[in-house]
Amino acid sequence: MKVNYAWLKDYVGDVLPDTGEVTRLLTEHAFEIDGVETVGNHAVIDVDVLPNRSSDCLCHRGVARELATILNTDLKYDPFQVTPNLAATDKIKVTIADMQACSRFTAALITGVEVKESPGWLKERLESLGQRSINNIVDATNYVMYAIGQPLHAYDADLFPMVDGAWQFGVRFATAGEIVEILPEGGSTEPRQVECIGTELLIIDESSNTPIGLAGVKGGQYAGVHAGTTNIIIEAAHFHPTITRKTARRLGIVIDASKRFENELSRDLPPYAQHEIIKLIEDIAGGEYEGTLDVYAEKKSNPAVPVRVAKTNTLLGLALSQAAIAEIIARTGSTVTELEPGVLSCTGPWERTDLLIEEDFIEEVGRLHGLLNIVSVVPEKATVTEVNSRQYYSEKIRQVLLAEGFSEVITSSFQNKDQIQLQNALASDKSYVRSSLYPNITAVLDANFAHTDLLGLCAVQVFEIGTVFDGADSGVSEHVALAIGVRQKGNGYTQKDDVLLESACVAVADALGATIEWMSKQGVAEANITKVINDLPVPTSYEPAVERLTTTYSAVSPYPAIARDIALWTGADFEAERVAAILKEAAGSLCVRIDLFDTFEKDERTSYAFRLVFQSNERTLTDNEVGGIMNTVTEVATQKGWEVR
Amino acid sequence: MQEPKGHQHPITQMIDEINHIFAGIGFAFAEGPEAETEHYNFDQLNVPKDHPSRDMQDTFWFQPKDVSEPTVLRTHTSPVQARFLEAQGAPAKIIVPGKVFRNEATDATHEAQFYQLEGLHVDHNVHLGHLKGTLEYFFSQFFSGKTEVRFRPSFFPFVEPGVEVDMRLLEGESKLAGKWIEVMGAGMVHPNVLRAGGVDPEEFSGYAFGMGIDRLGVMKYGVEDVRDFYSGDLRFVNQF
Repeated sequence: MKVNYAWLKDYVGDVLPDTGEVTRLLTEHAFEIDGVETVGNHAVIDVDVLPNRSSDCLCHRGVARELATILNTDLKYDPFQVTPNLAATDKIKVTIADMQACSRFTAALITGVEVKESPGWLKERLESLGQRSINNIVDATNYVMYAIGQPLHAYDADLFPMVDGAWQFGVRFATAGEIVEILPEGGSTEPRQVECIGTELLIIDESSNTPIGLAGVKGGQYAGVHAGTTNIIIEAAHFHPTITRKTARRLGIVIDASKRFENELSRDLPPYAQHEIIKLIEDIAGGEYEGTLDVYAEKKSNPAVPVRVAKTNTLLGLALSQAAIAEIIARTGSTVTELEPGVLSCTGPWERTDLLIEEDFIEEVGRLHGLLNIVSVVPEKATVTEVNSRQYYSEKIRQVLLAEGFSEVITSSFQNKDQIQLQNALASDKSYVRSSLYPNITAVLDANFAHTDLLGLCAVQVFEIGTVFDGADSGVSEHVALAIGVRQKGNGYTQKDDVLLESACVAVADALGATIEWMSKQGVAEANITKVINDLPVPTSYEPAVERLTTTYSAVSPYPAIARDIALWTGADFEAERVAAILKEAAGSLCVRIDLFDTFEKDERTSYAFRLVFQSNERTLTDNEVGGIMNTVTEVATQKGWEVR
Repeated sequence: MQEPKGHQHPITQMIDEINHIFAGIGFAFAEGPEAETEHYNFDQLNVPKDHPSRDMQDTFWFQPKDVSEPTVLRTHTSPVQARFLEAQGAPAKIIVPGKVFRNEATDATHEAQFYQLEGLHVDHNVHLGHLKGTLEYFFSQFFSGKTEVRFRPSFFPFVEPGVEVDMRLLEGESKLAGKWIEVMGAGMVHPNVLRAGGVDPEEFSGYAFGMGIDRLGVMKYGVEDVRDFYSGDLRFVNQF
């Protein structure tokens, strides 16, 4: 929610601190601030209003009220101070088919207005929030929404048929297949045709049963305000949040109005909005207010909630007095009385629909008193008596396989094709859940073989422990699987892989002291570990913590690596590490690793064979370039008196 | 030239480390299914029937023909709170590290699958100060340096009051040192969640927290793209 600082000041008054302090206060006590920017001459604060406060704080008055509460002051100007007293009219009628869906409907008639450009101050304020000015009437509806949170819609009364002496509105659910034309969106100039499925609530012209808008979501062009409009009807209503939300989501129309309705605005709000807009329109468009229709069918008011001093302090870890708690809650505009010593009766202000249970008020106390005042309680050392078998044995399996030279991977739980398809996966290539780790491990073996030089490996040896899903008669079932994979040749599986695989499987079974049923094919063995663990004794304590290295990860170069071998005779007094260090230095910074892969001694001389791997983080290296570096390496070796073979 | 020892995936290294740290202050390691019922994933956690997070966009749903009741790939590890309370009642002191799923577009900071760490402590007179002390203890151990924690107001359906947790490493050479970093959501367990688990909120109170283990990895190791965790690429894994 973008909040114009000067607008806030209209409500809060001169006690409003600067934007930096406003940011700090809101961050500590209410909402995260996404940023502060300057638009024209206006400072604009982007306030991330929490979902439970979207009912009252998606508007300037709400954020101003919140700041006044934090600052422990009253609003200088509060549009909610006086309950509006709106003259009635019988020229507007409404038929509401479902009072739960539309609990309140108000419509005000103003005649003789002049549609024109909005005054500069209004245009500037709307523009500071990123809203384009349209004309004074439409701007007024938007202004009041940003001011106090109630969405409104304006109609040209002369384009809306008057039947039996009244303008006849209706609110009903759509029928399946019914088409509603709504205002153009997303830069389009054409109205959008929406086909209803029957769950949408519609505003209609009751006299002809014509849909004129999706209630709470988006209006239509029916009886739209235009340059020549003189008589207008302003609608402000309360629609059911869930119905609004579902329609808005289904049609992808999440706009300022629907966002507010779907967050359960107060049912008391529409008359205040009418009061505000009537004043504003008379001011900027002239005309005469004739009267308002107000049908309030389903009343709802805030409950009186008992709030205990002891409970408040128990949850917050504080020791506040009853008086202090009462004072903080009263600052929110709530009514607070003492029910009995130690128990307060609290009723939230009408515009807040989120203060319903004791804990809601306790939260108010916590954040307004200041969450920074919560004092840490250092936990006591203790031992757990319950050891998780899956974690214990999984960790055991990991340590065994790591010792055997296997590295652990975690792969996607999704598959392109498998047994069980999800209803609604976003990505089409991951619409199934895996029933086996085999395909992923095979893919990991394939993908990693190219990197063996870079990694200093002669084979790819990996394992994964992860959940897989089976289809069963009783529904989806899941178990933890272990898969181990070996690949020694670049062109795929060879029978030699099974030797390494077999020894890894045996090592796991030995370490667990279990018989494991392996499914083995093409260098990958997989087992149901849940089944294995279920038959093992429940451990009584975890193994001591493994010493872990502090690792700082460096991003993998996206460019391929090139490997070159060099074999040379050195004197017997040269150790391999020293030789490697000299060669690596000669090879320069593009040499990312050097590995000794062969050694033999003859006639007091030693032959070493090294593999040097080259890679750049910026480009693909050429054979020529690496050849040049290898020439330098050879020269350096020769200067040392070594004989390059 | 085969390296003598394989490399353990950073996620399971962190889980093991987390488990040891929390075991030292009495938290048991609990778990639950990845294919979770709507009942545990949402209803028992006080997520309103019409809450946006149940929408198709955010949650992977199984097809009705494959399941006996509405089932999702769990969107958080919180359902284990509900399961644990229902099965064992209070007091409860558990952590739940596990894989969770979100049906959303992926980028360097979002994956459709990731690991989450849930914590739950329910007992007599448990309060926000216990949460703060426990998290400070955990982060100080996990990041090997004295760490402080602060709370800011937040909202999650399953807690009330709800807080956002920031941490700041006070010492050490790490890039993290000296900066406030937003790490997780937490709060006092909502009375509806306690009641749904058969625990009387008049007798017991508790806190819960949930954070991304992947995000801990980003902080701890300097990983820049969370998708690397699930790439199966040994050029990534073998650095750990």
